[in-house]
Amino acid sequence: MTEAFILSIERLRKHFGGVVATDDVTLDVTAGDLQCIIGPNGAGKSTFFALLCGIHRLDGGRIVFKGKDITRMMPSHRVREGLGLTFQTNRVFGNLSVRQNLAIPLASIRSERGAGAEERYRMALQRFDLDRDDETQAANIPHHKRQWLEIAMVLAGGPDLLLLDEPTAGMAPEETENTANVLHELNRTGLTILVVEHDMAFVRGIARRVTVLHQGRVFAEGTIDEVTARPDVRDIYLGRQ
Amino acid sequence: MANPFSLLSGPEDLGRGPLFWAAAAITVGLFLAVPLYLSEFAAYNVSYYLLNIPMALGLCLLWGYCGVLSFGQVAYFGIAGYAYGVIAGNLAGQPWGPTVGSIGGLAAAAIVAAAFGYFVFFARVQMWILPILTLVLTLLLETFLGQTAGYQWKVGVVQLGGYNGMTGIPAFQIGDFVFSGYSFFYLALGVAFFSYIACRMLVNSKHGNVMLAIREDAVRTEMLGYDIRVRQWVVFVLAALLSALSGLLYVQWGNYITPSQVGLLSAALPVIWVAVGGREKLLAVVIGAYALNWLNYQLSSSGNQYALVIIGALLVIVMLFFPRGLVVTLAELAGRRSAPFQTPAAHAHRRSPT
Repeated sequence: MTEAFILSIERLRKHFGGVVATDDVTLDVTAGDLQCIIGPNGAGKSTFFALLCGIHRLDGGRIVFKGKDITRMMPSHRVREGLGLTFQTNRVFGNLSVRQNLAIPLASIRSERGAGAEERYRMALQRFDLDRDDETQAANIPHHKRQWLEIAMVLAGGPDLLLLDEPTAGMAPEETENTANVLHELNRTGLTILVVEHDMAFVRGIARRVTVLHQGRVFAEGTIDEVTARPDVRDIYLGRQ
Repeated sequence: MANPFSLLSGPEDLGRGPLFWAAAAITVGLFLAVPLYLSEFAAYNVSYYLLNIPMALGLCLLWGYCGVLSFGQVAYFGIAGYAYGVIAGNLAGQPWGPTVGSIGGLAAAAIVAAAFGYFVFFARVQMWILPILTLVLTLLLETFLGQTAGYQWKVGVVQLGGYNGMTGIPAFQIGDFVFSGYSFFYLALGVAFFSYIACRMLVNSKHGNVMLAIREDAVRTEMLGYDIRVRQWVVFVLAALLSALSGLLYVQWGNYITPSQVGLLSAALPVIWVAVGGREKLLAVVIGAYALNWLNYQLSSSGNQYALVIIGALLVIVMLFFPRGLVVTLAELAGRRSAPFQTPAAHAHRRSPT
């Protein structure tokens, strides 16, 4: 059964001291899907991504990616297996040029990149209006282009699963719209995308399936309409629960 | 892949354009012509300023480009020097003894650095602890070497000598040609020059980009698929090898070494050279190391007991007023007027508010 899933997460647990950040999260991601994880601040969304990528160590649970158990794998090896992550706070290399930022992931990565990786990368550069020979320091380009640059950097590695942590944070509406369109197109080429997002309008625009995290647990799952129709989901979003 | 020239003229070091390369050619020419205008004794002193440059370059790679501060680069300087002394001393009279000794010195430094670096980087020791650990290693070495005064501390025919140090270390020779005076000057010049060229090509290569990426954000770099532990480890061993080159040249120059060469004072000096010149640029470090060694020599040979106080005060002043280093700051000021020293990075640091 797990064969249809590109990613299967079983009972993921993590606490920091007495604070439970992720509590028994079980989640499956179907290959080719574009799925969103939503939830109020502090719901454990970013921690969940950090656990997936191995940046934090797990307290318990199991992660299977493309049929392979990656629970104990080093972060860089997970990337080589095909995970790609952008961070919630933009983490391009600010003191390096755009060219260097793009050259670094291109020079690394995997001996064999997934099908269509090169086309996706080219498409992203074009749609995000990025020039791979641009010698401008990344710290000096506009905020939304830094966000796009980080997505392009991750795509340069040819991931099979793209993890985006609030990719449109701080963007103007038309920039958000462009981001959504590009993500749609990337998804249409067969790339699986998992997005953590706050902006409900953006989520409504892109996601087929939505998972709601709350207090480190999976609170609700379904289509965006199903989920937002639930009064208890509205309550947690408005801070009533 | 990039050709050698584009690696040399890449953005990650000071200096580009015809004017810079013309100035560089003239400088190299002036050094090559030293026998025409300096006595053999004076050239021998210049050799001393030059022989410290590889160690400074190694620390520059490690600290300035990779973000890893080592306070113990002199440990590898000393290990190479002592190993050379032991091996070449035991092979005294053999024409290839010094060559074998040099290889042995480099190998000894590389092995110690690889073992130490393995534990430090693969255990993911936090980067602020690293300077302390590296300093501890070199101080341990000093303490150990300091107590080797007895006759039991004899390796073959060579006496380690405790705090008096090891004396009578053979000069470098290839076959029957012994390097001394002007010929040693050219040896030191050649080693310093080619170390610099190799480092400059490295930092502009794709490996150099990854070093910079690790300095900027190690986790982001790891999440682009790089095993940063291996990368830091390799740069650490490379820096140790560059220190070892300096150590070899030092014992071949003065024919002696003492434990104070790996002591606290000696350990601080490379950090000062690199910081005063500007740790983010290799050329700045070359100029800084050369100038400070010259200054130190001038002050101490004129009987000034405050040479180190003056050098230390210089460090404080530079750190307060030119935190990015004197040469880097001057090059940027020059870059505002004309092109030769300008780098894209220099631009950004001026404009960027962060």
